[in-house]
Parts: sequence; C-alpha cells; structure tokens
Amino acid sequence: MKHKHVFAIDIVLIAGTLLVLAGLIGYSRPLVIAPLPGFVTADTSVLFEFEKAGLILIDDNPDFTSPDRIYAEDNLVINLKPGVYYWKVQGIAGTESEIRELTILSEVNLKLKQVSEGMYEVVNAGNVELDVEVYDDKEIVGNIVLGIDESKEVSGTKFIGSQKD
Amino acid sequence: MRARKFQELNLSEARKTKMNNKTAFLAVFGILALLLAPNVLALGISPGRTTVDFTPGLERTVSFSIVNSENKDMNIVVAAQGELKDYITINDKSFSMSSEEGSRQVTYTIRLPKELSPGLHTAEIVVLQLPEEGKLSEAYIGAALAVVTQLHVNVPYPGKYAEASLNVIGPESDGKISFVMPVLSRGEFDLVNVRATIDIYTSLNKKVATLNTNEVSIPSRKRKEIVAVWDSSKAPPGPYRAVATLLYDEKSLTLEKDFEVGEKRLKIEKIEVNDFSLGDIAKFEMLVENTWSEAVRGVYSEMNIYNKDKKLMAEFKSPTYDIDPLSKTLMVSFWDTAGVKEGTYDSTVYLRYGGKSEKEDLKIEVRENEINVIGLGYAISERRAPRGENNGLVTILVIAIVILVMINLLWFLFLRRKIKSR
Repeated sequence: MKHKHVFAIDIVLIAGTLLVLAGLIGYSRPLVIAPLPGFVTADTSVLFEFEKAGLILIDDNPDFTSPDRIYAEDNLVINLKPGVYYWKVQGIAGTESEIRELTILSEVNLKLKQVSEGMYEVVNAGNVELDVEVYDDKEIVGNIVLGIDESKEVSGTKFIGSQKD
Repeated sequence: MRARKFQELNLSEARKTKMNNKTAFLAVFGILALLLAPNVLALGISPGRTTVDFTPGLERTVSFSIVNSENKDMNIVVAAQGELKDYITINDKSFSMSSEEGSRQVTYTIRLPKELSPGLHTAEIVVLQLPEEGKLSEAYIGAALAVVTQLHVNVPYPGKYAEASLNVIGPESDGKISFVMPVLSRGEFDLVNVRATIDIYTSLNKKVATLNTNEVSIPSRKRKEIVAVWDSSKAPPGPYRAVATLLYDEKSLTLEKDFEVGEKRLKIEKIEVNDFSLGDIAKFEMLVENTWSEAVRGVYSEMNIYNKDKKLMAEFKSPTYDIDPLSKTLMVSFWDTAGVKEGTYDSTVYLRYGGKSEKEDLKIEVRENEINVIGLGYAISERRAPRGENNGLVTILVIAIVILVMINLLWFLFLRRKIKSR
C-alpha cells in the first residue's frame, strides 16, 4: 500500500489510453450521411455523401458478395438501375461504415409527340426498358420495345407502355 | 383547364373590341402559347412492377404513383386486366388531374384465393389518359396513352426449388474474373446446402479450369449469391465459356455463359521505311501483332498524313491480310512522296477489321534519305489520384498513437520506477 498513488496513476493511464484509443477508432470510422437508411426514389441519379472514406461499396445483396467498388474522395452522384441496393463506405485500414439500404423504383413513363396526322413519335421517358402495344382503334397492330430515352415513330390511336420482362 | 378558361376569356374580350393594352397583350400571348404548344402527351407510373409472395387468402393494399410529366390537365381511368384481375379492386377508378398536380398516389387492393398453381401469376393495372377533346388549335392529340404497373405474384413450388442465373464480372485490372450466381429459393422449403462448380472452356472446348463457389443455405423465398473467382491473368485473350452446375440439396441445375478474356486487339509493334529517297515511293512496313487467340481476317491499314495546317495531304491503304492467333504479320503500304518537303508531319494510322478499328497517332519525320516514324511504344499508365483527406486522417491517428505509446513508455519504464524507488 506504500505505492498506492502509483497504482492509481497506472489505472488512470491505462483507462485513459483505452478511452483515447476508443475515441480514435470512433473518430476514424467512416461516416455515411446520405442517402438516409431505407431511402426510396424513382430518380436513378443518387448523391452519396460520406466522410473519412475513399471507397463506396454497392451491392444488390446485404452480404456484399459481388459489390461494385467506386473509389471517391468526395460526395459522388452515381447512376443506378431500378432495384434494391445495399451500400457502405470503407475508410482507412479497411474500417467500414454501417450498411444502408436504398431502393430505386422503376418508372414507366411514355411520351407521345404528334409528327403528322395519325403518326406519333413514341418516347420512353422512364427508367426501364418498355414494351409498347400499339392499337388502331380497338385492334392491336404492333408491339415495339423502347430502351431508356429511345424513341420510334409509329402510327396508331392508342399506346400502352409497360415494363419489359 | 385554367389555360383554356384564360384563353376563352380573352377571346370574348377581343370580340367586344374593348381591350386595353394589357389584355390585348395577354390575349395574343395566350393564343400564341396555345398555337406553339408542342403536341405532346405524357404519362408516367411508378413503380412499374410490384412483386408479392403468395400466401393463401392474402389481402394487401398496394400503392403506386401516377406522374403528370407534362403538367397538363388530364382525365384518368384506371382498370385491372390479366389473369389475376378478378382478385383486384381499384380504389379510385376515374378522376381528373390538374396541371398543377405533379403526381398522385393511387391504391388497389388484392385479395388472393386460398390456392394458386405454383409459379408466376400476373395482373396489370392500366392507367389510361383519355384523349383531349374539343380543344381549339392544333395542339390536340387524338390518341390515347396508357401506362401499366404490373403485379407479379410468386407462388412457391412444392418441395425445394431453385432459380439461378450466372453473371460474369470482369476481368479486373489484375485479371480476376468473378462468377456470381444469384440463387432464388422458389420452393416451399429452405435450401440447406447450395453450391456450384464452374468449368471454364476455351473456344476449342478444352477445359482450362474448374472452380468451386462458396456454400450457402437459402431460406424459402429468399435470394442469396454464390461466387467463384478465376485468375485469368495467364490465360490467352479470347472467347471462353463457363458451365456452372448448381447443386442444391439433392437437385442440380446447369447454366452456361460465354465471356471474353482480354480484348480482340491488333497492336502495331513497329513501322519502318527502308531504302527511301525523297520524291520516290516510300514503302511502309508495319509489323502488326494479333493478341487474340483466334485469327483476325480481312485486316488492312489506312494511313493519313497531315500538313502543317492540319489538312490531309496523303491517304494510303495496304492490301488486306489474315493474321493468325497470337502471331505477327508484316503489312505493307506505299506513299508517293513526289512534291513532299522535308519536315515532321502529323499522321494517323488505322487498323481496320470486321467493323472495328484501332487508331494510333504518330509523327512522320521525312528527310532526304529516310523516314522515321515517331510515337510508337509509348504506354499510358493508369494513375490513381492522391488521397489527401485520408492521408491527413492517417497522420492524425499515427501522431495520436505515437503520443499514447510514448506516454505509456515514459510512465511504465521510467517515471513509475523512479517514484517506486524513492
């Protein structure tokens, strides 16, 4: 008990060291800011905001078995196809952030521009490939497939667009 | 609707010929706006598909958004069609959307029967924008536009049942190719043991590798991935075929996928002109390497030479050649240098084959008795940007840890002993 104060300093030093180490680990851990957990949108351009990380990992399964790896120092806009995604960021020495889920909803969007009498330019303005049924009065007269932003000139009186399988 | 009322109001005022300047301007603007308005109809719907796992007697309300992309007044009709239409109730079958309403949330309720056969069952919710009627001006579209949101109901198969696909990702810069197999457990029961072996074949059907994926268990109606990685860095460039045998419990499933290693590429190794005199015909000998593991046929070179004003001064082609796999061929072309002065000229060489072309920008140094080709053999290496922010973070961490270590060492090895020894 002669060196009681020495042991007290030992304990304070060890506890202090552990606390500082824990703080350093917390400080160096990558931080994800946006998109928020469970974010749902039909916009295919998504802004990823994060701190203390240099690598974004995006996968369509939470096990990250085949992630897309995107090296980025700063916030980054990434174009994604409709679907459910899981993402996280990786910082120094492989430290990883929390995993967040993100859903890009499919949007079927069809645009008709009249070119001449009975003739239309059909435009896929959505974010998925479209199957468009073309009718003349009540009779189906054709079927066209439109890629994203693709357009075709077609004659008809009714146009029905749906997501292609 | 508001735009139309606005225009009608101004037309009636015009008839009265009592317009003041402001209303005259508004009337003209209104008519012009209507006449110049593009003849466009647009309609959106999101999501395009909703997928539901079947449970007997399932009752669920599904919502979707109708998007008024062109911000127009529109009359909408919603109806269900397809195999499951009798199990669907639309909660709002017809309504109007004003030009100010960007989107509207609509719902339908599904009440599924107690039994459905295994597999996929579908229905379509059709949202129809009725044609505009009785509109003044040419901005009238007589066609009807409709968009569909699909309903997919997956009914589990009896026992154990897997659906899978094979995706080939890569090669990465280190030559690694990932074979990723998403597996869906579509049966009533969980899949306990799911794995696959993947055989890699060349275009000559010679097996060059066999890979094993990881092993997973997949609960009923869930999806998981199994992966195998192949190091293709030593494999000759060319087409390959992957044959995957998925083994799940007592059953198996075979999947195939073609993929390529490397690029179908021809490389100009060297261009030489020997025995040359200015004013004569120069014979360009071009050594071309085929790095692909299959022959490339019908290859020819096209060389363009530009003067000091960057204008084309000469264009000459070689005959066509067939280049064997992984071999080199000397291609010859001729340039008539009559009237050409000594100097250095910009040049572009194209290797053209089967709709593709490889391009090299070079400089041609023409002298009295020699032509030198400058610019072959340079390599552009990929460089990664410096990682400033992370370097700063590492520095802070290193300094903090060094200080901690020093404090501890100072205490435990020096100060502590000193105090104890007093």
